[in-house]
Amino acid sequence: MAAVLSLCSSLTPKLSHNQTSTPFSHARTNLSFLSQSLSSLTLNSRKQPALSFTVKLTDTEAAVETSEPETENPGPEIEPAVETAAEPKREEVFAVVMVGSRQYIVFPGRYIYTQRLKGANVNDKITLNKVLLVGTKTSTYIGKPIVPNATVEAIVEEQTLDKKVIVFKYKKKKNYRRNIGHRQPITRIRVTSITGYQDSPAVTLP
Amino acid sequence: MNKKEVFKLAKGFRGRAKNCIRIARERVEKALQYSYRDRRNKKRDMRSLWIQRINAGTRQHGVNYGNFMHGLMKENIQLNRKVLSELSMHEPYSFKALVDISRSAFPGNKTAIHPKKEGLAMLI
Repeated sequence: MAAVLSLCSSLTPKLSHNQTSTPFSHARTNLSFLSQSLSSLTLNSRKQPALSFTVKLTDTEAAVETSEPETENPGPEIEPAVETAAEPKREEVFAVVMVGSRQYIVFPGRYIYTQRLKGANVNDKITLNKVLLVGTKTSTYIGKPIVPNATVEAIVEEQTLDKKVIVFKYKKKKNYRRNIGHRQPITRIRVTSITGYQDSPAVTLP
Repeated sequence: MNKKEVFKLAKGFRGRAKNCIRIARERVEKALQYSYRDRRNKKRDMRSLWIQRINAGTRQHGVNYGNFMHGLMKENIQLNRKVLSELSMHEPYSFKALVDISRSAFPGNKTAIHPKKEGLAMLI
């Protein structure tokens, strides 16, 4: 799996599908929305480490994470040929953010699927405050539990339903069958920038 | 039409189970039952996989999983196992930083034991 995950480019903007996830516990998220009409909502959140395998990061070859192999530099660096071909200059930083009681590793320019954020319309800017770890090429900022003043900005791209899951319940010899379809509402969020983390760097990496 | 849906779900099944409705219906029902059960099992399996990976990653630095998690809990670092396993795979330096924090918070095994290289690996 490490081989699959260490494939291809990490910072291409043309991002593709993700795998769907099973619905998990809905928690109220701590996001502040700045919609275009300048109305803002803040919801409370409950901190809980997430347990479900619901990381949905994009990549053209269905890899989950950044493509950096372990033996090379940290930070999402890819081959220079691809980097300079079509990309604008992108800072190489990643963050671990908690949304909807699930934790995701985010990169600027990529999208993730989260639980449906109520009250967010398409093309809303969103700031995510619960940043648990920020890593750059040279240093890592580890939060206890969150990195102070770090924010991740993102734009809501789409509010859709997940792929349909058939919930089929069956008891043998008792003539009990229930066939139910379920589509979980999700939101696609594209991360634009990671800021505000210049505080207490734990490691200056070699 | 139910038969059409059954055959659509029965793609790739072995033998008559993909062609004959009576057999296909049974197999499809069983498949759906398994998928119901396994959606719950997947969460358990994934967590177990993450723990194995974190264990492997920390033992390279001389700390085992139990001490590592204890150290993180003491330091109030709330990264979950999914993210930790991804970091241990793709961000080795960040992961080493976490291991060092944990080791300083909860003194565990100090020395990193490198596995002995045998044969051609000695050239590396």
